[in-house]
Amino acid sequence: MAETYPINVWINEDRFEKLKSAGLGDMPREVLAGMKVLAVPTTDVQRDKVLKLFSMAKYDAATTKSIEQLPKHVKDKIFDLVVARKKIDVMEEFLSKFEQAGDAFWSQQIA
Amino acid sequence: MEIGHGGKELKERVIYDKEEAKKKIKGLKEVPVRRQIATEVISIAYGFFSPLEGFMKKADVESTVKNMTLADGTVWTIPIVFDMSDKEIADFGIKVGDTVLLTRNNNPLATFEVEDIFTYDKQEWSQSVYGTTEAKHPGVKRTNEYKDKFLGGKLTLVNPPKFNPPFDAYWHTPLMHRAKFKEKGWKRIVNHQTRNVPHTGHEWLMKHAWMATHAELSMEETEGGKAITGILVNAIIGEKRPGDYVDQAIILSQDALRTYGYFRDDLHMTTFTLWDMRYAGPKEAIHHAIIRTNLGLTHHMFGRDHAGVGTYYHSYAAHRIFDTIPKEKLRITPIFVLEWLFCPHCGEVTCIAFCGHKKEQQQFSGTLIRGILMDGVKPTRLIFRPEIFDIVMDCAEKYGFGSPFVTPEYLEKGTPAFRIDPL
Repeated sequence: MAETYPINVWINEDRFEKLKSAGLGDMPREVLAGMKVLAVPTTDVQRDKVLKLFSMAKYDAATTKSIEQLPKHVKDKIFDLVVARKKIDVMEEFLSKFEQAGDAFWSQQIA
Repeated sequence: MEIGHGGKELKERVIYDKEEAKKKIKGLKEVPVRRQIATEVISIAYGFFSPLEGFMKKADVESTVKNMTLADGTVWTIPIVFDMSDKEIADFGIKVGDTVLLTRNNNPLATFEVEDIFTYDKQEWSQSVYGTTEAKHPGVKRTNEYKDKFLGGKLTLVNPPKFNPPFDAYWHTPLMHRAKFKEKGWKRIVNHQTRNVPHTGHEWLMKHAWMATHAELSMEETEGGKAITGILVNAIIGEKRPGDYVDQAIILSQDALRTYGYFRDDLHMTTFTLWDMRYAGPKEAIHHAIIRTNLGLTHHMFGRDHAGVGTYYHSYAAHRIFDTIPKEKLRITPIFVLEWLFCPHCGEVTCIAFCGHKKEQQQFSGTLIRGILMDGVKPTRLIFRPEIFDIVMDCAEKYGFGSPFVTPEYLEKGTPAFRIDPL
């Protein structure tokens, strides 16, 4: 299986309830003192695209091997897509939608 | 008389009287300076870098690079210099023996008595101070970006800076620090160097350092509510990079540990020093020790990777460098601390020195904490105090243009720590 590079979406109680409703309650893992994180995978191509589209984002190759520093509204949207599609492999659709709509994507409802 | 680093008298070079200052600067050539130089002028003038009385002359730079001392033998690790290009020197008509007026934002800042104009090999400097000449090292990059000539000589601050809120409440000069410590009755004070907002791992580092510092001193005063050993959180406020915490969040959240009772009011205090981090690892650890000696501290905490960057330094290089300096050369005692982490088996924040559940340990990764805050998800209080989270989020809205971390917008429009008003 090809290596993936996660985007860590932190899960509070509200988000956890939504994940459970989507049948994804067992997806987050506990990382630090009970804090839950949902690792949304990206391929190497998707990772590079994320880093290019969101210049503030960084790939932490040294410690977490994850994409970090994505703004909240970006991760909120990724989370909404996970819940709507009831799966975590959503980055292809996320990137395609953002590339089509640009900043208008942030205010669009996920159909 | 207050004694600072190197056993030298701690002297301010500041003119507080406006009329006297106006007379002193009359007719002087005006030379505008950038933010870094302005902050170093301020730090030198108030004695943060004592015994320096001005920007270094060649003999001091050379001795710092080659011997880790000033020319007079005082321990020193990082050159503090004023750079100019040949063209600027020619355009301003500056020569040795001149006194010029340094200005910031078109307002007078300090007089500068030019005693030396020189060049220095930046490669030699970088290799010695940073242990590398790789241009991607931020300290090396800064050194390479210095213009080709350096001017050395004494400074006198003629127009003290005004600090913008919330920094104004936390600004203490070295003499102000010392007066405050006397007022508090602290016999020993340990420094916590930081550029972070605190999680509970940081709290335990401070507790560890307090216990090590207090050591054999009597406990009755502390039990009675008037501690004789204090913790100073002295934050570094300086050049920011995208992704750093915004300065206001650092200062206010550190102080909140006291105001919300996680540290008692009688043993905890927060202030800051203006300094652009050089990420010189062990050499910078010594520089931090020098600054805190001048503030009047007796002890200084050093953790893993102190002032390091990337993989340039061993995790404990900033500890081992103290082995190379005779104790009497530094008037401050280093307190070395180990990593604190969360262990679900122990059910608490603990230290790697104590916890035997190696496979279960969960480290306080800065990256993870940043991710949690970035998502606006309130962490469990075991690792991050709820009041601290609220303050950080409040700072994001109030000062950070919606982010607790430095963004291009914060760099462009954020309120700086200080300003120089008209004289």
